[in-house]
This record gives sequence, C-alpha cells and structure tokens, in this order.
Amino acid sequence: MSIKKAIGTFAALGVCATAVAVNVQFYDENLPGSLNPLYAESMVDFRAQELYFDRIFYVDPINNKLDSKIVRRFEMAGAKKIRLFLNEGLKWHNGEDLTANDICFTIKAIMDPQTTSARAKAFRKSFTDCEVEKDTVAVIEFPEVYHKPIARLSFAVLPKSSFKSTAILPNTEFSTRPVGSGPMSGAKSSSYAVFKAHRQSSHHNPKIDKMRLNQAQDPVVQINTLKGGGMQGIISVAPPYRPELASSSEVFITTYDLRSWWFIALNESNPILAKKEVRQALNYLIDRNDLREKTIGVKKGDKESPCELISGPFVQSSPYYNRSIPVVERRYEAKATALLNRAGLEKRGRAWYYNGEQVRLRIGMKETLNKEAPDLLDQIGNQLGEAGFDRLVYKISAEEWSREVISGKSSSKYDLVIGKWSFNIDENVNNLFQTRKKDKGTRNIFNYSNPEVDAILERFNAARRDSDAQNAYLDLHAKLSDELPYLFLWKLDTKSAWRTELRSSIITPYYYFTMIDTWKYSKK
Amino acid sequence: MSRRISFFLAIFCFASLFWASYKAPKFLTLGSVISEYKYVQPFDSEKQDECLSSGDDSSSSSMGFGSSTKKSSAKDPEFCSSMYWMGTDRKGIPLVDYATQGAKVILFPSLIAGIVTCIFGIMGGLLRCVQLPFLDSMIQIFAEIVGALPRMVVILVCALVLPRDMRGLLPLALLWAILSAPTAMDEAGAVTSRLGGARFVEALRAHGFGAFRIYLYHIVALNLRPVVVRQGAEVMMQVVFLEVALSYLAVVESQPSFTHADNINSWAELLKMGYSAVVVDEPSLHALIIGLGLIAFVVVKATSITNMARAR
Amino acid sequence: MSQWWIRPSIRVCSALFLPLLVPGIITFFIWALPGDPASNICPPERCDTALLAKEFNLDQGSWVFFTDWLAEAFHGDFGRSWRVMQGVEIQELLRKSFPNTMFLLLFSLIPITIGALIGAFEIVRSKWDPILVMVGIVPVVVFALISAAVVEINYAGSDLENQANWARIVMGALTLGFADAAFSGSLIGFRDTLKQEKNQRYVGVSILRGETVLSNTLPNVCNALIGQYRSRILHILSGLVIVEVIVGINGVGALLWKGTLSQDFGLVLATATIFAVLSGILLIIQAILECLVAMHIRKAPTDVRLAESV
Repeated sequence: MSIKKAIGTFAALGVCATAVAVNVQFYDENLPGSLNPLYAESMVDFRAQELYFDRIFYVDPINNKLDSKIVRRFEMAGAKKIRLFLNEGLKWHNGEDLTANDICFTIKAIMDPQTTSARAKAFRKSFTDCEVEKDTVAVIEFPEVYHKPIARLSFAVLPKSSFKSTAILPNTEFSTRPVGSGPMSGAKSSSYAVFKAHRQSSHHNPKIDKMRLNQAQDPVVQINTLKGGGMQGIISVAPPYRPELASSSEVFITTYDLRSWWFIALNESNPILAKKEVRQALNYLIDRNDLREKTIGVKKGDKESPCELISGPFVQSSPYYNRSIPVVERRYEAKATALLNRAGLEKRGRAWYYNGEQVRLRIGMKETLNKEAPDLLDQIGNQLGEAGFDRLVYKISAEEWSREVISGKSSSKYDLVIGKWSFNIDENVNNLFQTRKKDKGTRNIFNYSNPEVDAILERFNAARRDSDAQNAYLDLHAKLSDELPYLFLWKLDTKSAWRTELRSSIITPYYYFTMIDTWKYSKK
Repeated sequence: MSRRISFFLAIFCFASLFWASYKAPKFLTLGSVISEYKYVQPFDSEKQDECLSSGDDSSSSSMGFGSSTKKSSAKDPEFCSSMYWMGTDRKGIPLVDYATQGAKVILFPSLIAGIVTCIFGIMGGLLRCVQLPFLDSMIQIFAEIVGALPRMVVILVCALVLPRDMRGLLPLALLWAILSAPTAMDEAGAVTSRLGGARFVEALRAHGFGAFRIYLYHIVALNLRPVVVRQGAEVMMQVVFLEVALSYLAVVESQPSFTHADNINSWAELLKMGYSAVVVDEPSLHALIIGLGLIAFVVVKATSITNMARAR
Repeated sequence: MSQWWIRPSIRVCSALFLPLLVPGIITFFIWALPGDPASNICPPERCDTALLAKEFNLDQGSWVFFTDWLAEAFHGDFGRSWRVMQGVEIQELLRKSFPNTMFLLLFSLIPITIGALIGAFEIVRSKWDPILVMVGIVPVVVFALISAAVVEINYAGSDLENQANWARIVMGALTLGFADAAFSGSLIGFRDTLKQEKNQRYVGVSILRGETVLSNTLPNVCNALIGQYRSRILHILSGLVIVEVIVGINGVGALLWKGTLSQDFGLVLATATIFAVLSGILLIIQAILECLVAMHIRKAPTDVRLAESV
C-alpha cells in the first residue's frame, strides 16, 4: 500500500479503532444528531435514518409512485379510514416481529402531545386514531377525507417494545442506538455511525454488508482519500473540487436532487435591522456574483453553473418561484446609500452610524456550510465591512444550530445568520416565516412576524387546489422579497462522488439511501 | 548564551510579537483571484509579478480582495510582497495573516499569565520570610488542592462553563497561571528558605536596611528573580502551547475555538494546513515549517527571558 | 512544617476532598448557568423540559442531583450522556475508554521512570543536558501530530485495527513520555536533586564513617523525588486529552473533550471526576510513601544516639 494512500485514510478516521472491516465508508457533512426519526433535524439525520428505518410509504425514485416495503396492500375502510395489510415475516433489527401494534404505536406517539418533536407536530393533525385488527392489519383514521391518504403515511415506524410510553423523548438511548426495521441496523458512536445489513427480515436484502458514515474533514483530505480508495463516497462535494474528481477514472460524480437554497436571515429585533430600508440596503450591498466567484468558484458567464441566484425562498425550478421578481446579482451602492440615509443612518468617513454609534453587525454561519462554500462568512463580512459596517463573525456549530438558532433563541446573539434550507418535493416554507406560536413557525430563526405574511401562509395551508397553493406562494415570494426577513442568496447543486466499485447506486432525492437494497459493492 | 545576547534576543522576540499583533488584520485578506485555489509557495516571484500586474486595487489588508470587483489595476508592491513572503494557503490567503493573527491571540494573555505567575512566585518567596505558620499551612492546602488536578481537565471544565461572550484565551491563561502558582510559590519559597527565611531578614535588619530594600531588592530582585522570571517565562510559553493545542483540537473537529474569536486564526491553522502536506501530499509544507518555526520562536523567547534573568 | 505528619495528612484530606469538589463545582455550574438545567439538554422550544428533567434527575434541585449522582457514581453508575451519545450509560462509555487511558498512562510512565533511573545513577552527564532540553521542549501537540502520522502511515487502510489501536497507544505513550520535558525533566530533576544532596557535608562525613552514600541521601531526598514523580504523572494526565484526540485513542480524555465541545455536562461530570479520583489516588500514594520515609528516618540507629550522648 502506498504511503500516500495509507495516510490519506487518516483524516477519514479522525477516528478511533473499530474491530471490523467495513465495506463502504463515506463522508457526510456531519455526524447525525439524532437517530430517532421523530427528532431528525438535519439532512444528515434524514439520510442516516433512511438506512435504519422503514417509512410506511415512500416515493419510488424510479417511477415516482408511492410504494412500501412493509405494507402488502391497503384499502379504504370508509371515507376517513384506511386499512393497511402488512407483509408477513417483518422483523425489527432485534429480531422481534414488526406488527400492526408498532404501526399504531407510532401513530399514537405522534398524536401524544408529550412527544414534543416538530416532526410529530407536523403529522399530528393528520390522524385521529389507529386500531389493530390483527397482527398484520391496522386501521388508521383521519380527521377528514384526504385525496391521497397514503401520502400522509410517509413517516418511519417505531418499535413499541423500545419505549415505555407513547411520550417519546429526544435524548434517550434510542437516539444513539436505534432499533429499526430498515435495510441496515447499527448505531452511532462519538466519531462515526455504522450500518450493518439487516437480512433477518423478508422485506430487505441489502447487498452491502457494512457501511460507515464519517464526519466530513477538510475537503482536500476528503478528495484525496476518496481517490486513494480509503473512502468510497462523499455525499456532498463542494463545487471547487468537482473538476478534480470528475477527471478521475476511479470516481464518478452524480447529482443528488436536493432543493436547497442559501440565505442570510436578518434579526428584526435589532432596532436597525427592524427598518425595512436597512434590510433592503443590505440586499443591495451584497455582491452575490462576487461572493459565488470567491467562495464557490463560479465565474461570470460560466455555463452549467452549479450555483443559481434566487430572489425568494424557492429554487428557480420550483413552481412556486416568482419569476417576476429579479435577482440582485451585484452591488448597487448608490441605491443602498439612499436607503440607509432614508432609514436615518449617517455615513461618517467610511462607516455608518446610527444614533451616534457605529453600526455593528454580528454575523453567524453554520460551520458545516464552510465546506461547501469556503470562507463565505468572511467574504460576506468583508463586503459589509467595506460598505461601512463594523462586524463580528461567528461560526455556529451544528449543535448550536439545532439547539438555539432553529429554536429562535439566538436573537440576542446574532444580527445576521447565514444558513441553508433543504426541501423535498414538498417545498413547504411555512415554518420558516410564520409567526412562532405552538406548532407554527417552528423554524423561524429570528421569530419574524408579519400579519400579511401569516395571512398568505394560511392561504397556502387552506388551499385545496394546486393552483391556489401556487398563487399563495408566488405572492409570498413577492412579499418576502420586499420585506426581506431573509436575504436570498442562491441554490447550490449538490453532487455526490462515489468510487466506481459501487454499482446500481440509485440516489433518491432528499432521503438518498431509499434504494440501498439495490446498491452493490465489489472490491477491485 | 551570554546574558546580554539573551537580553537582546528577548527584546527582539517581544518586539516582533508586538509588531505582528499590531499589524494583524482584523479579518483575513480573502479570495485571491490569483491563487485559483492553489497554494503559493513563499518568495514566489512569478506570483508576485502577477499580483503586481493584475487583480484588485485594494491594498488594505483589513478589507482584502473581497472588497472590489475591479481587476484591471495593479496592486501595491508592498502589499504583494507582504502577501507572498510566507506564501499563501490554497485559498490565496497570505500565511503572514495567520502568523500575525496568531501572535495577536497569544501575546497579551500569555504575557499577563506570565506576570501573574511571577507575582505568585514572589508572594510564595516572601511568605517564607515572615514567620506565619498558619498562613504557610493554608498555602500548603491551597497548593495541594490546586496542584493536584491535571491542568487540562480544569481548563476544559472552565471552558465548558464560560459564557460565549467571555470565551477567549485570557480567562484560560489566567486559570493556567493560577494552576501554575503552587509550583512557582514552592520553588520561590525554597529559595528564600535556603537564604534563611526570617533569619535572613533579621540579619539584614540588623545591618540597618529598611523593609523596602530588604524585601524588594535583596530578596526579590537579587535572589528570587531567576526563579520567578523563569517560572513566568515557562508559563508564558505553556499558555501559547495551550492555545495552539486547544485551537488544533477545535479545528480538527470543525468547531469554534475556545481561545479566540471566529474572525481570528490561530497558529494551529498553520499546523493543520502543514499536516496535510504530510498526509495527503498537499503543497503546504511551507505552512508546517512556518507553524513549527513560530513555536520555536516562542521557545527561544522563553529561553532568552530565563537566561536574561539568571543569577550572576 | 514542624510536624512530619501534617503534610501527608493534608494530602490525604485533599485526596478525599477532590472527588467531591470536582463534581460539586460542575453541578454548581449546571444550575448557575442561565435557563433551567434540562434546557441545556434540549431547549423548551423543542422538548418538554419537565419530562426531561425528571428523566435526568434534574427536577429536584442541585443538592439532590449532586448527592444522588455521587451515591450512584460510588456504585459505578455515572448517569447518562446528555448530548455526545444521547441517553447512553456513561459507565458503558467508560468501560471502553478507561482501559485505553490506563494503558496509555502506564506505558507513558516507562520513559519517565527510565529517565529517573538514568538521572539517579548519573548515567547521562550534564554535558548532554542542552540536547535533552531541546528534545523535551517540543510541545505535546507537535509530538502528537508526529505520532498520529506514524501510526496512520503504517496502519491506515489495513484491516489490522486492533494492532493499530495498540500502535496508537504506544505512540501516544511515547509522546506523553517525551513531550513537554517529561523524560528530560525527570532525568535532570532526579540527577540534580540527588547530586545536590550528595554534596552535603553530612554525606562526606558518613562516607568517612564507612557508610554508603545512598543510604544517607535517599531518605532525605525521597520526599522530593516522590513529589517530582507525582507531578510528572499529573502532567501526563493533563496531556492525555490532547494526545487521545490527535492520535485517535478512544480514551477518557477524548470523551472529556467531546463532552466539553458539545456541552454534555453529564459526560464532563463523569470524566472530570475520573481524573479527580486518579489525582486523589496519586496523592494518597504520595502520602503513604512520605509516611514510610518519615518513619524510616525516625527509626534512628542506636550508635548515632550513643555518639550524640558523647
């Protein structure tokens, strides 16, 4: 083994010893925060949980139809009830049978108000009851007639035997060592997560024996380790490094369809940022072309750019994207100056002052984004610095992001937060902009509140036709581009890289590993 | 090494660190359009010519390249030479920025920690000259408890409970100084005990010397000086190593460091960059050499201070 | 100290006090930090903190938590991890990591013990001191990086994970044994202490009386040497955290670091207490040895007493 290859693996390890040889090792952005499907926060969580758990119904990426590994067939048992017939011989990773009891337990856990998960809250209103008719037959009752009821059953099944009650807490051992029924069993340690093929059950037959998820290192190390064969895959390759991998015959690059867009959230509890003119001025002061050139490597006029500028909370290919709203590509200093002056700010020398004090902005960015867009935090800081704002920059750890930023508890810490949201086909952004109360606005970073925006979001919720929903979100786009609780940056393509030893590797949008049973790995 | 050379070396080291801290940019100069995501080796004249003939016209190191989109005018020669004499990282950020920012991180906290240790040492030495057995016992208990725990454990517990706004090297450096105090006091106490302790003071009093002259001149300046200055210099050096170690551990875990603000970079970044040269054949050996060189610089500084203050 | 037993007594008291003090301070801070303790595990916006508080025994105040935790820790139950390994018994994490840390510690004692012996028998002369000091001055972080590289060059990508783990421990031990002046300090410290004592006038007299040097000097310097040795071990314990993280050893120090980064008070409480217990054990060993030395000294030979009477 060459020294370079051997050492290259080091970073992948970062890492302690394990006693087993692993077939497939890959880098993900981070380690999963929680392996309990009810408490998934990040894309890493969703991807890992897709290996450990079965969702009752999922969208088959090949034919785009709802399918299930655990439900043999279903029938309507009345207008608001659905009867599910489970496959025979379904087993949990611990060898116990997966029965209708588990399906009903999961639904009751979701309905239990003491289960405080945001995901549970999202599903809670969709059910009124669940009954077990037989070990393999469950009847689920909905509060109203749904057009496609099985689409409401896209959550993971939990084992009843692993919980004391239907009140499911986040910080239990289950979040670290889950018992699932998915294609892979395993657990996470403090340095990696392991996956072992689950073949005891009739519904899965993965070809890969073992997999290991390692936390992403320095991109350079990741690339070299992958090329050297120390790792088999990288879930997300930063754009500047893609050409290097594309030129390697031992690695292939593939698209991971993730509707994710980048933003800068503005804290309106800061009296300066509460002024709309200031927010609009900041929008004009950010030179997005320059930013994406410096951080992502996209040059002006580049064809097939992985980075597409946006003007609202949707990617440009979305039906909700309002094309009448233009993107702000570059800096418009004169416009920004006029707006700032109108807001009562005063420029002395190179710096902006408000009420006799220089304006200081505290800018935070989720640390893991630095791997995709290196130095974005500093670049934005520099642009605002040059515009005349004093600034402090902070890196936000994944832990702090999920514990404080998403929970709306960081208003006293930051004025601007740079982040990224990822969506499935359902691009529901209500939780990002709705006024935070009870089950609403659960991801509203700076507790933004605007009655007009709330009204539009309610219109979206109440929409029964696709066109109504689309119109609501088109209006939302227009409203937000004027109000600017966020400065919208861009949509960045996500590309994965895997070694060619991996074959039949179908990557499912959003959940990634849904089709892992088909993946094959043969060592050269 | 003669004391005079040591003296000049120590002054040079301090002056260099002060100068570096003064020149340290508040934010890194970012996004060189020249580098195109490639490392630039030190003294690369080709790149320097390129810098002089193209790129942005911003020469302010605190604003850097991210400030303008004009690319036609040449840069300031001084700026270009300052950029490349240490080379750059793969993003085109001059390593001199890392070096100066790192100096800024460590300079004052390490200096203050060193001074605090010296003060503790002096106190320990002087206390042996006064006959206060009770106080001596109390200090002994303090020393036993404080000195009994591994320092890094105490530092980490402190880092855990420090509010984010208070995070920085200074509180940790002060804590390190307090943890080092028992050793310094013990050693200084041993020196004054060897002198004769209270009997030495009595003897000098018998010669008609005043308290100021006895304690500050004869005991501290003439006898305790080598010990307390050495202890202080060692603590200064240890604080730098502590900062590098803590920052390195945070960097490898992609976490914010406990020791400095996120817009500042530590010397640990240089070590990490340089380590890639060893492990994945990155052309960043110059970063490793600079990182190790800076550590050696700190060692030289501490050694010079110790030598400078040693007994005749 | 006028009475020989005061110093050992203080050490024993400190040794007994430390394992109470450390968790006590951490518990104090759990309650002193803003927000209720359960919100440190999961914010109220995301979780029912009342349920969590009950689950983690945080609902009855700091004193109940502290006493319960201590009582359970005494029986080997250190509670559960709050964040790093959510809900997992810390006892289980320690069961895997503690042996690694102990091996690392014991192996790292080899270089400093050898150093002490070389120093005591003056095998290496003082003309070599500059070289020793130069080697010793390298900080632990630099040595650890070298060790990590060496291990990975030889073992990364191979299936010999068990061997790799041992290699990490050995290289980590060498790092701890040589970095930060561990070896050189031990050698020079022992040599200088003994040398200084040998130059005392009474040693010359005793040689004239036909006695050996060691039997005269050793009892007098023993306490100093024991103190030196303990401080070296403490220094190694301090460096353990850095070495374990950089070299990749799954040890108690690495757990402490991860706990600190993630603000996992449960994990930090347990791991810091383990370090406090280790420090306490060292103090007790030192106290016992000091007592033995003191008793040996006080068991003066009869002929000396006769000589005094003359």
